[in-house]
Amino acid sequence: MARLSRVAVAVLKKLGAAALVVWITATVVFLALRASGDPLEAILGGPGSQAGPETAAQATAAYGLDQPVFVQYLQQLWRIATLQFGDSYARKQPVSELLAANVPPTLALATLAFALAWALALAGTLLAANARGRAGAVARALLTAVETVASVVPQFFLGAVLILVFATGLRWFPATGAAAGGLPALVLPVITLAVPVAGYLAHVLHGPLTEADRSPFATTARARGANESRVLARHTLRHAALPAIALSGWAYGSLLSGAVVVEVLFARQGLGRLLLEAATVRDVPVVIGAVVVVALLYVLVMIVSEIVETLVDPRGGRAAAARAGGVGGDRSGGPSRSGGSGRSGGGGAPGSSATRTTAGSEMIA
Amino acid sequence: MRTPRLLALSAVTLAAIALAGCAAPGAGDAEPATRAGGTLVYATGDAEPACLDPHVGGNYPQALISTQYIEPLVGRDASGKITPWLATDWAMSEDGLTWDFTLAEGVTFTDGTPLDAAAVKTNIEHLQDPETQSSTGFIALQKVQEVEVVSDSHARFHLSEPDSALLESLSQQWTAIQSPAGIARGMEVNCQLPIGTGPFIVEEWVPQDHVTLVRNENYQTPGPENDHSDGDDGAGAYLDGIEWRFIPDAATRFAALQSGEVHVIDNPLPSDITAIAQSSDGEHIDAPRPGSVNRIELNAGQAPFDDALVREAFIRSADPAPGIETLFLGTATRAVSPLASIEPLATGDAGLLKTDPKRAAALLDEAGWKPGADGVREKDGARLTVRFPVSTNQSTAAEQSLFEQIQANTAAVGFDVQLEPVDLSTWHKRLGAHEYEAVSAPYTKVGPDVLRILYHSDGMTPAPSGYFANHAQLSDPELDATLEQAAQTANEGERATLYADAQQRILESFTVLPLYDQQNHFLARGVTGVTTLGTVATPTFVNAKLQA
Repeated sequence: MARLSRVAVAVLKKLGAAALVVWITATVVFLALRASGDPLEAILGGPGSQAGPETAAQATAAYGLDQPVFVQYLQQLWRIATLQFGDSYARKQPVSELLAANVPPTLALATLAFALAWALALAGTLLAANARGRAGAVARALLTAVETVASVVPQFFLGAVLILVFATGLRWFPATGAAAGGLPALVLPVITLAVPVAGYLAHVLHGPLTEADRSPFATTARARGANESRVLARHTLRHAALPAIALSGWAYGSLLSGAVVVEVLFARQGLGRLLLEAATVRDVPVVIGAVVVVALLYVLVMIVSEIVETLVDPRGGRAAAARAGGVGGDRSGGPSRSGGSGRSGGGGAPGSSATRTTAGSEMIA
Repeated sequence: MRTPRLLALSAVTLAAIALAGCAAPGAGDAEPATRAGGTLVYATGDAEPACLDPHVGGNYPQALISTQYIEPLVGRDASGKITPWLATDWAMSEDGLTWDFTLAEGVTFTDGTPLDAAAVKTNIEHLQDPETQSSTGFIALQKVQEVEVVSDSHARFHLSEPDSALLESLSQQWTAIQSPAGIARGMEVNCQLPIGTGPFIVEEWVPQDHVTLVRNENYQTPGPENDHSDGDDGAGAYLDGIEWRFIPDAATRFAALQSGEVHVIDNPLPSDITAIAQSSDGEHIDAPRPGSVNRIELNAGQAPFDDALVREAFIRSADPAPGIETLFLGTATRAVSPLASIEPLATGDAGLLKTDPKRAAALLDEAGWKPGADGVREKDGARLTVRFPVSTNQSTAAEQSLFEQIQANTAAVGFDVQLEPVDLSTWHKRLGAHEYEAVSAPYTKVGPDVLRILYHSDGMTPAPSGYFANHAQLSDPELDATLEQAAQTANEGERATLYADAQQRILESFTVLPLYDQQNHFLARGVTGVTTLGTVATPTFVNAKLQA
């Protein structure tokens, strides 16, 4: 119970932080867009509109642009608070309708890419971890090379290569046609989005795994007669996955922003493309709506990743909750600091010896 | 880590190129056999319209798609001659203030509403209603005061002053005629599903993905491009429908064309055009837009280009021709007129545009601009700086490279051209605030009257958005008079002389450096019979047949 209530407090804190994030985001976007262009242009057919004075006057009144800017800002905040978001300047449609149409495709894309990234990262890591002796060393070196390349390859480049090979060349999958193509049309975009994140996750997974494998708790488990799969599944992987899980919130967020590139490249409907097109014409309500939704999704994903981390953490209870309580901070304060979450930004740096002993003793206990 | 990473990258690239090469379809004796029916897939790289009714706003993407479902009162053939379309006949009164249009008999819109004089009146009123937020169509019809319904098939236009461009204005998609019942549904619905007389009907619009167009089974109004207007099966389209896709990335569009996912693409890269032109698998359609050419305009309203000597020096040293040839791979040719080459009244003067760096240097000396320490000329402590905002939304990669070459060429005689790549909104902001000395801003309109919009001194008065068309800030009373006279005369010969005079005067002002026609290329594969209208050069698929 204590564990649950601590998690609840952490979640509440997160929600408070979310409201703050939304307010700051909306304010920054509002100011940036108002400073860089006249919203009237977006209403009257985009930048450089040639609409005459009468038309302009009518649109100004209809959209409340004759009000003081501060009043317009408050109106905008009110619309966000009530999740109305107003009408798109350019498309003459309610923003909520546009969001309803564009959020699901992006969520599907990002979620599939997220699952694929984890699958690739786990598969690669386990493959390398299971290979022993000389072959193992080679496999690990190869994995390091592949994950490095994967984590730095720009998505627009990867996507272009995939299109060239699998759409134009082999013709296995379509490059476009999200609505008509169904599932086959999702394959290349999902791979494009997943590969860099997979590389990063694998990088974060395999260092701690190698380390955990050599740690006293693994040795103890083996000495007790556990076979390799059991050691991996129950002990080392659970330990090694923690930093990667901690990073997953960030990873999912990066998938949401990476969706901009992928949606444009593969001509898919989605939040990223909506945001880009709206920003180009200074369609303020749409940009604010899309950015706020992205911010909320990000916060939500962070909360989920904290919870999952707590559940997976082999040390369980007190230590995990203490860390969960410290969310939003710099993750450097709990008494039972472990190498796992302490290294969330490090990406595979070798752990300290303290990690080994702490985690090891907990496991044995 | 650096070496393996690079190696791996190059290996991936090489593998991809090799695979693509191997799997490229055998260029070949593609069978010309065609079939009736089927759905053509069109992929556009132009921005997705915010509204499918081209009366609202009025931009090129709207013209492109609306060509398939809405038709204008009159057409224009490839030679530039105005032809009948929804109106079969027309006559102008002697004073040029009234025009009588006779409408095609027995025509209905695809919702069953009859095409009559009242429908035409409703359309013009719709265009002129501020609530429609029309800008292109609105400006084109500014001289129309009222449309009078004389009889069902007879509409009379009353003008405030004679307008020699009226027919050209009415031939554009932005003034095309829609069902009045469709308009009456209100803007939100009419933007989604506009109703016209065209060979196709808008069935569905999935934003950011596609618009579904289906064949109009009762098509009655063949335009000038229709090649089967007296066929046994009527003049309608052969296709069952069109899937109109929005694919913003040029490489993806071309890949989709090559893999057979789509049949026709627009806005191809120069390298893609030459690839298709050199293969026997596919067709290249070159349809430059009417109106102005792509050109650089020098701001004569402020220093340093308020001095004609400095303007001439820039134009004599820019030397764009070699860059156009290499960067566009032969797909664009150097223009010598401010008017598009497809305009019958376009004239040019290559002599006024001749490159001559020595003369340019002499002109700058004469104007008092002396070479400074770093090669940039100076006068009274001011540097010879040319601010050149470039809209990355409008200027292609090839055009931006061309500007860089011009920057280097003019630097040789002492100009300091500062290219500033910005997004569309910022670009308009720069222009509105007069923070530019040079700019490139194409303008599409049917007929030579575009010169009045661009170079009459009235064009310096900004619209409420800050937009003004006369970027050269050309204020020449004699040119104004010539353009006004040309816009009013009904005499074709006199009109040609006046516009030739105007074009000469514009070039002599050295405010305009013509570059090339507004590029408008289409690539087609697996389909025949794709043609473009002689108006705003949009493609029509009324004759199109998919290959069997």
